[in-house]
Amino acid sequence: MKGNSLAIGLVVLAIVFLILAGLYYEGVIQIAVSDPTAAHHPTHAILFTVLAIATLIAANFARSKRPT
Amino acid sequence: MTLAQALFMGLLQGSTELFPVSSLGHAVLIPSLLHWSFKQSDPSFVPFLVLLHLGTASALLFIYRGEWVAIIKAFFTAAVRGRIETPPERLAMLLMVGTIPGATLGVYFEHQLKSLFASPKAAAGFLVVNGFLMLGAEVLRRRAERRAVLAGKSREEQEQNFAVAEQISFRAAALVGACQALSLFPGISRSGITIGGGLLAGLRHQEAARLSFLLATPIIAGAGVIEIPQLFSAGIPVAEYVAAALLAGAAAYLSARFLLRYFRSGRLDPYGWYCVAAGVGSLALLTLRP
Repeated sequence: MKGNSLAIGLVVLAIVFLILAGLYYEGVIQIAVSDPTAAHHPTHAILFTVLAIATLIAANFARSKRPT
Repeated sequence: MTLAQALFMGLLQGSTELFPVSSLGHAVLIPSLLHWSFKQSDPSFVPFLVLLHLGTASALLFIYRGEWVAIIKAFFTAAVRGRIETPPERLAMLLMVGTIPGATLGVYFEHQLKSLFASPKAAAGFLVVNGFLMLGAEVLRRRAERRAVLAGKSREEQEQNFAVAEQISFRAAALVGACQALSLFPGISRSGITIGGGLLAGLRHQEAARLSFLLATPIIAGAGVIEIPQLFSAGIPVAEYVAAALLAGAAAYLSARFLLRYFRSGRLDPYGWYCVAAGVGSLALLTLRP
């Protein structure tokens, strides 16, 4: 049960990372970017996409496994 | 930048990227000491660096091509299964955990740190710090060897008492990976700091170098691939830059081969003392010259 709660939390976090990736790509977020005038920030978008994937993997590791 | 300068910079970057002596520090210091007039802040310098990094990453990918195939397969297997069952799966997950902190810190702080500290004097100062960090790591390793009662044994026997990369903890992998971000300070070596971190995590020297090179590959290649569009800017002397990148790749290949052999029984001390001497010497030259 504890593992499932953690897994759900990590999935939510992954969705947050994906939203942040989209917002950075569209230039909506300008936090800690090298060129605030640029329309897109692909490096930050790629970073948050990778973080989202890593968090989903962590969620898969955290969820309870059925006995085989 | 002349062709000779481009080739020299390629050779310098390729060899110093993997030797624990800071490629960025040397790239800032040596042109300044040689009074070369090209500006590293020039927009045409970025595509040059991109190609040099791709050359170095290609060399690392070539050396570890078999291992990378196994790591990528193991990564997907473990990620889908949600459980680690084999050493390659553990290594794949350790590399992911080790890459994320360094990449995150790099994306957020690279621009600020490079613009703050990209002066030759700062690079020389950080080179001295880099030297002392490596010497400090070796002092702590010798202490661990004394605790394990390994004094008097041959270096190969001493090394056998320490771990291989697959055996370190995930926390240690994350810390070693985060240490990579320190290499954003010109003069602090990525490989030096990660090999030193690997030693503190209880790895053999050769395994610490292997982990360092495996951790460096995604970051160096990723940083290069992201900047590929810069290569298509107008006025880029592509042929000269590609020649320099090939030289960087060849130098990186030979450097990695040498280092992996050297670290079977060698230590970081010579590189530590080199960094201290080169940093102090460069500071003196930069201070005394008119």
